[in-house]
Amino acid sequence: MNVDAMSTFFALLSLVALAGAAATGVLAVVRRRDPDGPLAGWWHDLGRVSLLLAWLVALTATLGSLYYSESANFVPCQLCWYQRICMYPLALLLGLAAWRRDRAFAVYGIALAAVGAALSIYHSWLQAFPPDSGSSFCTADAPCTTRHVWEFGFVSIPFMALSGFLFILAMMGVARSTVRHEETT
Amino acid sequence: MSNRPTAKQSPSQRVQQAQRQSQGSNRVWWILGAVLIVVAVAFVAAIAAGGGGNSDAEGGVASPSGGTVVPNGDASFGNVEARGTALAQFAGGGTDAAVGTPVPSLNGTTFDQSRVDIPASGKPKIVMFVAHWCPHCQAEVPRIQEWLDANGMPGDVDLYTVSSGTSESQPNYPPGDWLRGEGWSVPTMLDDKEGRAALAYGLSSYPYFVVVDADGNVVTRTSGELSTEAWEALLESARSGQTGGTTGTTGAASEAG
Repeated sequence: MNVDAMSTFFALLSLVALAGAAATGVLAVVRRRDPDGPLAGWWHDLGRVSLLLAWLVALTATLGSLYYSESANFVPCQLCWYQRICMYPLALLLGLAAWRRDRAFAVYGIALAAVGAALSIYHSWLQAFPPDSGSSFCTADAPCTTRHVWEFGFVSIPFMALSGFLFILAMMGVARSTVRHEETT
Repeated sequence: MSNRPTAKQSPSQRVQQAQRQSQGSNRVWWILGAVLIVVAVAFVAAIAAGGGGNSDAEGGVASPSGGTVVPNGDASFGNVEARGTALAQFAGGGTDAAVGTPVPSLNGTTFDQSRVDIPASGKPKIVMFVAHWCPHCQAEVPRIQEWLDANGMPGDVDLYTVSSGTSESQPNYPPGDWLRGEGWSVPTMLDDKEGRAALAYGLSSYPYFVVVDADGNVVTRTSGELSTEAWEALLESARSGQTGGTTGTTGAASEAG
């Protein structure tokens, strides 16, 4: 696998994560409208694997980010580092939470993933529409505007991070909602 | 667990509960199975799509541009001899004092220690300075190579690259692997450890382009990433000996050392 193929792979995974986050959002709305409908069971079962799925995504994002910096030699920029600060702990803590089946962890996961998502939105925007300043954004050696990856005409590394953060947020939402559900029944 | 059957439940309720439970665990497996399948499909699709990549960089072979991919060899520094007066350091913006002044000639070596000479005069030429660690160079090189592959090496303008600012401790080292990986087909001189070639051409940041006319005088200089249009305009200024509209602008660049 060369860097191009790996990037295509990660880009596809990020689109799947994004679709998963969107589907979870739709499921949440449907379930709210019809709490006893056939989809309520799915919501409940998604809750049982939410921590696991979120951990898998955080782990993939972390390994992918390390692959890009250590193996493909892309220098992480400042904004990349801030997003890493939000993602790397999740790879560890979500694993622990999934192992302990501790869905109460969701609130802490949301805190990290929300900050990460906000940074990723800003960074994705920067890469999609680079400012016309004529000089490098961030630092000269590692400009935030460098599109190391640009798959399908819109998937950049921060876009992948954004997909990951959104998916984790969605899973944390499911975890939070189902932990309340289980406590009350 | 809240949905464990209790003694208070009627048998039918218990059956329902058990059904729900088995349905539930089934669905969990469905979800996990779907995730596995999706990852596998993405993996296969990526391999299928990325099959034509450039993982095995082979130097010295014919390039689609009509040139030759830079040769194999693990040299990262060359021996550079510069003759003539060094150009003023490029400042960007305003009028460039070096325009119209003669460039020094450079004699040097490439990755396999064979000679690369950049004569002062002869044909119009563009000398492009890159550093392996410079992200703008990493973006620029494939863009220009794509243009060369599509349009062929220009017959009326000589192209040269100088790989400069090389440092083992910086990313994307060594420069030879990088340029071969991109199928780079422009003759490439390796700057020496003192950066004599860069100094002689007045480099201040990467990537750096110097356009020289047939008499060996500077037509224009520019630093920073070029769009394909700006690259074509640069070629045009080499042919005409006059600065085009878009050159002289300074795009995104990485400061030298």
